[in-house]
Amino acid sequence: MAEKPEDLNLPLTVVTRIVKEALPSGVSISKEARTGLAKAASVFVLYVTSAATNIVKNKKRKALTGQDVIDAMKDIEFDRFVEPLGEALEHYKTMASARKSASMKKKDEQEDAEVIEDD
Amino acid sequence: MATPKSEKDLHLPLSRVKTIMKSSPDVEAVGPEPLYLVTKVTELFVMDLAKRAHKNSNANFLEYKHIADIVQEDDTLDFLREIMPRKITVRQFKEMMAKKAAKNGDDSSEDSSEDSSEDSSSNNEQE
Repeated sequence: MAEKPEDLNLPLTVVTRIVKEALPSGVSISKEARTGLAKAASVFVLYVTSAATNIVKNKKRKALTGQDVIDAMKDIEFDRFVEPLGEALEHYKTMASARKSASMKKKDEQEDAEVIEDD
Repeated sequence: MATPKSEKDLHLPLSRVKTIMKSSPDVEAVGPEPLYLVTKVTELFVMDLAKRAHKNSNANFLEYKHIADIVQEDDTLDFLREIMPRKITVRQFKEMMAKKAAKNGDDSSEDSSEDSSEDSSSNNEQE
């Protein structure tokens, strides 16, 4: 299935925002540099995905997990990202379970309300 | 149900990252958890590379070449070498080609003799 070329690129405006936040204010970045970074980011996504997929295949699993992504960092020699990603994963799991219990709580409240109305 | 932006704290669009991930061969399902981490680490990567390039630049203007230099010199960035070559002017390219041609003309034919006193310097391109 043919994909539009832009679908595999990350939006330049977003990449620019990330770069600006990372650098001190007052630094200007050439368009070529921004485009280069955007392309590099896309290639990096593929690179990480490939490394993580290899790990999953070696373990005879099919679905990628967050931990696989973290383990992949060591394989591709980006050990410096292991710790921040570990924190990100914790943060993600906390958010996910908070959302889950919030929606379950809401469901419980709705059921309670229905019971009262039945009286 | 709207997710507050501060909770997600990501800039890159998850859907686009997912599209890229799925274009990789052998990838089957991409769940939200690995998608989140891949997106996150890609942002970290961009910031990291930008900061290093900026240090490389010694100025307040970040240019492509500052990034290309780092990519070419750091082996962990090997995967980027093809898409971020160092760029040279046409004149520099011509000078490079002229030097190569001169060198090929000077090199004597393959001499497997052990007594060879000529040092032949290899001019191999390192991939």
